[in-house]
Amino acid sequence: MDVLQAADDLRRRSLASYTRPLDRLIYLASMRDYNTGLYYHDGLASRYSAEVACEAMADCHREAFRQLVGNSLEELVQQLEAYMASTHTSPADFVTAWKGLEPYRVAIPVESDPLAAQLLFSSFRIALAILESRLHPQPAELTA
Amino acid sequence: MIQLILSLLIGSLLLLSVASFVFRRRAEGSSVDLVEARQALNALQGGLLPAELVARIFDRTDLEYVNMQRSPEVRELFLEERKRIALVWVGRVRKQITRLKSFHLGSARFYAGLDLRTELSLALDFARLLFACRMLEVFVQLRGPYAAPRILGATAATAAKVCSVSQESLAFLTPVYAVRAVNGSARHADF
Repeated sequence: MDVLQAADDLRRRSLASYTRPLDRLIYLASMRDYNTGLYYHDGLASRYSAEVACEAMADCHREAFRQLVGNSLEELVQQLEAYMASTHTSPADFVTAWKGLEPYRVAIPVESDPLAAQLLFSSFRIALAILESRLHPQPAELTA
Repeated sequence: MIQLILSLLIGSLLLLSVASFVFRRRAEGSSVDLVEARQALNALQGGLLPAELVARIFDRTDLEYVNMQRSPEVRELFLEERKRIALVWVGRVRKQITRLKSFHLGSARFYAGLDLRTELSLALDFARLLFACRMLEVFVQLRGPYAAPRILGATAATAAKVCSVSQESLAFLTPVYAVRAVNGSARHADF
């Protein structure tokens, strides 16, 4: 019950400014310790407990992952474009870094369904290829 | 001499009793069979067969969106990626269905009171399903992920049916509190 309340609290406060599933996925992954896999949120932990806060964040992380997997390719491209704009990085640098480092691989929740994860990674690769093709339009596209 | 014959006789009897014990245990099924069947069922119902995931993998609107980009490289990458994912999906469905089939062939009759008609219908469904999976693999391999929507629909529907019957066969493994929770939530939903 506490976990549900804490998750609701998290959605209403910290996650309220992240409306897109991709933003939520990245934000929640950034709150997770790479060494322990545990999530930390001081504000939430002070209102509930560290364990409840961790479980609530894990729930919200899984929810964001499910939502993103359920999104169409077009929606994913739009979210990636919006996220790219929010980072104030040049699109060319962003696409190069994301293609090379594949940061989305470490942004998914632990014990995600393997096929859903593969589908999402595959969609990220395609979305990045679409963004890259927009940076370097083909001559045929320019004349069209 | 008589002692030797007696020893051989006793030895043979012991060997026979051990062999019959081993084969009976195998025929009645072991906990490993049950765990494998439960895992296969969970993998199918939780990871492979949810309609939204199947729809996402084979959704044509993604292809239409990619076609609008007018980039042959992107289109090629998209079709390659979706084909790969589609083949992974079919392969995993086939593997889990094969595991469920071996459970039904080996152990299910000792645990579940399935009548002959249900068993025959289930056997037919398993045969159809495995054949459909093979067909789907060939079509996707040769003509891409959007080649056989009818076979895909039939495969997903038959797999869901087989899962439902298997769930009944494995129902005795479900803890009572879980059944109560499900029944309770169903009652709440009715109100």
